[in-house]
Amino acid sequence: MTSMADIALHALMPDILIALAAMGLLLFGVLSKRDHALACTVTAVIVFVVAARFILAAPAGAIFGGLFLTDDFTRYADMLVLLGCSGALILSVDFNRREAIGRFEFPVLVMFSALGMLVMVSAGNMMTLYLGLELQSLALYVVAAFARDDLRSTEAGLKYFILSALASGLLLYGISLVYGFSGTTDFAGLAHALASSARANDGALVGIVFVMVGLAFKLSAAPFHMWTPDVYEGAPTPVTSLFSTAPKMAAMALLLRLLMGPFAPLLSQWQMLIEIIAIASMLLGALGAIGQLNIKRLMAYSSISHMGYALIGLAAGTEAGVSATLVYMAIYTVMSLGVFGCIIAMRRGGKQVELISDLAGLDRRNRGLALAMAALMLALAGIPPLSGFWGKLYVFYAAVQSGLYGLAVIGVLTSVVAAFYYLRVIKVMYFDEAAPSFDHHSKAVGLMIAGCAALSALFVFVPGPVSQAASVAAHALLGAG
Amino acid sequence: MFTTLAVFAPLAGAFLTLLLRPFLSRNLAVGVSIIFIIISAFCGVVPAVRHLIIGAPDQTITLGSFISVGHFAANWALQQDALSLVMVAMVSVVSALIHIYSFGYMSHDRTMPRFFVYMSLFTFAMLMLVTADNLLQLFFGWEGVGLVSYLLIGYWYDKPAANAAAIKAFVVNRVGDLGFAIGIALIYLQFHSIQFDHIFAASGAMVDAKYTLFGTQFPVLEVIAVLLFIGAMGKSAQIFLHTWLADAMEGPTPISALIHAATMVAAGVFLVVRMSPLISLAPGAEDFITIIGSATALFAATVACVQTDIKRIIAYSTCSQLGYMFIAAGVGADPAAMFHLINHAFFKALLFLAAGSVIHALSEEQDIRKMGGLWRKLPVTYVVMWVGALALAAIPPFSGYYSKDVILEAAYAANSQAGMFGWACGNIAALLTAFYVSRLILMVFHGAPRAAPEIMEHAHESPAVMTGPLVVLALGALSSGFLLDRPFVGADMANFWGSAIAAGPHGSILLAIEQLPEWVAKLPLLMSLAGLGLGFLFYVTLPAIPVALAARFQSIYQFLLHKWYFDEVYDALLVRPSWRLAKFLWHVGDDQMIDGIPNGVAHLTSDASTQAIKMQTGSIAIYAFVMLIGLLALVSIFLLVR
Amino acid sequence: MTIGLAQYLTVAALLLVIGIFGIFMNRKNIIVIMMSIELILLAANLNFIAFSAALHDMVGQVFAMFVLTVAAAEAAIGLAIVVVYFRNRGSIEVEDVTVMKG
Repeated sequence: MTSMADIALHALMPDILIALAAMGLLLFGVLSKRDHALACTVTAVIVFVVAARFILAAPAGAIFGGLFLTDDFTRYADMLVLLGCSGALILSVDFNRREAIGRFEFPVLVMFSALGMLVMVSAGNMMTLYLGLELQSLALYVVAAFARDDLRSTEAGLKYFILSALASGLLLYGISLVYGFSGTTDFAGLAHALASSARANDGALVGIVFVMVGLAFKLSAAPFHMWTPDVYEGAPTPVTSLFSTAPKMAAMALLLRLLMGPFAPLLSQWQMLIEIIAIASMLLGALGAIGQLNIKRLMAYSSISHMGYALIGLAAGTEAGVSATLVYMAIYTVMSLGVFGCIIAMRRGGKQVELISDLAGLDRRNRGLALAMAALMLALAGIPPLSGFWGKLYVFYAAVQSGLYGLAVIGVLTSVVAAFYYLRVIKVMYFDEAAPSFDHHSKAVGLMIAGCAALSALFVFVPGPVSQAASVAAHALLGAG
Repeated sequence: MFTTLAVFAPLAGAFLTLLLRPFLSRNLAVGVSIIFIIISAFCGVVPAVRHLIIGAPDQTITLGSFISVGHFAANWALQQDALSLVMVAMVSVVSALIHIYSFGYMSHDRTMPRFFVYMSLFTFAMLMLVTADNLLQLFFGWEGVGLVSYLLIGYWYDKPAANAAAIKAFVVNRVGDLGFAIGIALIYLQFHSIQFDHIFAASGAMVDAKYTLFGTQFPVLEVIAVLLFIGAMGKSAQIFLHTWLADAMEGPTPISALIHAATMVAAGVFLVVRMSPLISLAPGAEDFITIIGSATALFAATVACVQTDIKRIIAYSTCSQLGYMFIAAGVGADPAAMFHLINHAFFKALLFLAAGSVIHALSEEQDIRKMGGLWRKLPVTYVVMWVGALALAAIPPFSGYYSKDVILEAAYAANSQAGMFGWACGNIAALLTAFYVSRLILMVFHGAPRAAPEIMEHAHESPAVMTGPLVVLALGALSSGFLLDRPFVGADMANFWGSAIAAGPHGSILLAIEQLPEWVAKLPLLMSLAGLGLGFLFYVTLPAIPVALAARFQSIYQFLLHKWYFDEVYDALLVRPSWRLAKFLWHVGDDQMIDGIPNGVAHLTSDASTQAIKMQTGSIAIYAFVMLIGLLALVSIFLLVR
Repeated sequence: MTIGLAQYLTVAALLLVIGIFGIFMNRKNIIVIMMSIELILLAANLNFIAFSAALHDMVGQVFAMFVLTVAAAEAAIGLAIVVVYFRNRGSIEVEDVTVMKG
């Protein structure tokens, strides 16, 4: 028993650490007279780093009767979640201070949200899934409306809250149906129940669709993407960067876990739904972005279409496909953080500017920033040899291997459309009449941009570790399922 | 060794001029290419002379593999038989002389180094052409000279006429090249090789092979020979494909001399002679060659009689003389064709350069009606031009006499209908040739000056750098006939040519001319003398006659003046329909289909984008509704399709 | 007539539909939307309890307890956001929550 408890403790260590640290910081922040936003943020990032260390050391296994899982897959997803959260926190310091919303609650909320995501990723039971999802969402509602004196931020929070609550409700209803018609909420048990009944009954099937819809909402996959542009635009930029990275990875991990695990016996049936969602996302993402003037809105549509591409790997329904999706998510997380770093650097006269036209002639004002942004845009567009290209290559390859030629073709076509608006940003930066220069941005933001841009541009030299980790993770997921 | 140097020195010269241009003065950069071309000329002459005197054995230097795919193999090689050596010597020497001449002629031109780079490149390509041991390398050189010809015709690219002429030359040559390329392809199909020695060795066995097309049988060799000759027609400006040559005179005059008189246009003749072992097995094609050559000789001579542009007269004369060469090649007197080719290269280059000297002296005036009385002002030019003219008019002892005589005798000796046609046309053309060349000289140098007084004031003899090459060429035009008569078409013929030129069924034709009646041998000379006399009569004694004749036979005059309306007919039959087709393809095919589809897709995309954005109303209710629709759709699909 | 699982499920389904319709049919007040969300959660909870009873399985009831807790937290946060929004906008009309669109 002691050994079991030891394992449990080890496996839960990162989550316990984050929970305690978050609550400790909350107490400290409330009790302290002065505001310690910077200290809290730094502490949070350190906690994330330590938690990451613990995650890597945690033993693989299922604890609490299968409620909580740790394996190579959760490790991989956790790393990306923590990367996204840390990145958002680093970006937030400077931004929040300048926007006068630099309060200690921000890192605390992000930590709670991160905790929720880690639980989501490790969920081995519908109950853990729901609790993790809700913990994550509740914290995100608040950070979306974090600039509480700003109409747009509060509207973003409100919209996100209502729609997300609706999605959670649908998810929950789906869980109840799945529970009722299969008799269990445990993933392993579900897999067994769904595999053994020759023809899964309708109630469970409807439940599965509801669950998929709930998760697709978190992924902002079409047609459940409607909140994305408004929330991305309204929320403070660091929050947007958080939205576009960590929760996406967590939701994607959960979707992979569910569909490749308990729902794997029904592969032939959900495969089509994922294809539809993927196609709709790629199309709407590509089309919606064309007419945008606001760069944050553009990125919202961009992330919709990128989720579509990532889902292609899932639709393939193979280990190679899962691995491709995981690589794609890693690449996407890095690209997103880089772009939002650039957006945060867009300040003029002490105010955040976020129109694409504000980037005009950036090349002549700030060559480094323009170069980084151009590299990131090209990476997002999937121009070889930048990282985005390899991500797309992996998922398309997986799709073709599974015989999903149509999906791959649509993917390529929508990338062509998408390339238009990415290239337009570059065109504005390099060929338009120069606008006044931006304010100086902090070193942290600059380093973040440079790092992400370099990783995106030079991915071709370092694909090994990422793709290897992804394939190990995919193997763990399918092996467990 | 010498040949290799001769071939590659111009290439090196071209590149060095190009590379050194930024570091050297204009004249020095040009000097580099001149030095290299002189090296080339020296190295080109030595092997030819050695062959002439010692008779060194044929050999082929293989430089490397060009293309090797499956059974298809082509090498970069330098063939050194009599044919190649003679051509190398002629091309490099004429090119060197013209390089030197151009140094004076082009001295006022701002972009002179570009001119020399082109000329050196041309020389290289021409030498590659004549030294090829396979059809692919020959085609490489063939297209290379075509390209440089295009670039040089359009050398003054700010002149619309020059651009139009360059494009015309390019397009007309494409027609011929298409035939040539198909011919090469058929040769590969039949012989599984494009090496000359393989082709010639195997062609004897191919005499009875036939293609069946539309129920008719065509002998393989005839088809191939005609296709190759169509290529030659384009390059050598034979009738139907001749229209580009006169327009090509828009290029600088040295170019007209080098490319459009002495060397490139002779490439067609060279091709036919080179392929003579094959063509001699195709009597139908040979007749075809003879007839086209005869028609061109006569046609071009008639046109030359009424032209007023000094360069165009000489250009049509070139056409006509090339026709003579094809008559010779067609009746199997290939050595005579080569003989005339070499002679022609010297006297025609001389005529062009002399004309250039005149034009230079008269501030770019080219209309002979605005010249006259120049002989005192330009004594050297005057003299050398007479040498060239007499060589062209085939007056002994000038070179043209030797070769043209042999050609016409061979045509008579061929004793075929085509040969007779060639003989008749050739004799009439000989009269016309002598007439128009005397007209040219008399109008340019004699009579009262018709140029504006201030131009006459400035008219002066060209500098030594220009007259020097003129004199050298004049010596060539004077002597090449009797110097080369013996080895080329005389007693040493078989020894000299060796295996380079086929001794097919007609191989003995040049021996047969010894038995011809006296009057056949004398007739061409009489015709030439008559032509000269007529020229004197018209333009010295009774200048009223040509005016009266032109007025009396207005329709014939106009017909000739408009070059038999070839350009007009082509314009109506080919150019305008092509324009209409092109416009149709542009407006319908390109604008509506090729552009239309992507543009339409782009519009569709942007429309779809507008719709997608419209859906995003900002209203929570709509968002929730869309989600619900999505949910319902997915559930229905899931339940329906499972 | 005995009241069995089917009846419970029907009621739950009705609650779900009413809740969903409440969200997008209602054009007046955000509070109504929040009530609709509570209805959806209620529908799910009813399902859990009914299934739990029918399956003789405790998990459903435990799940329902969790859902109640989460729903409470969610309502609290939701109302807080509505309050800050009202402070900025001066209205909680659904039709007014459309500053950002396109």
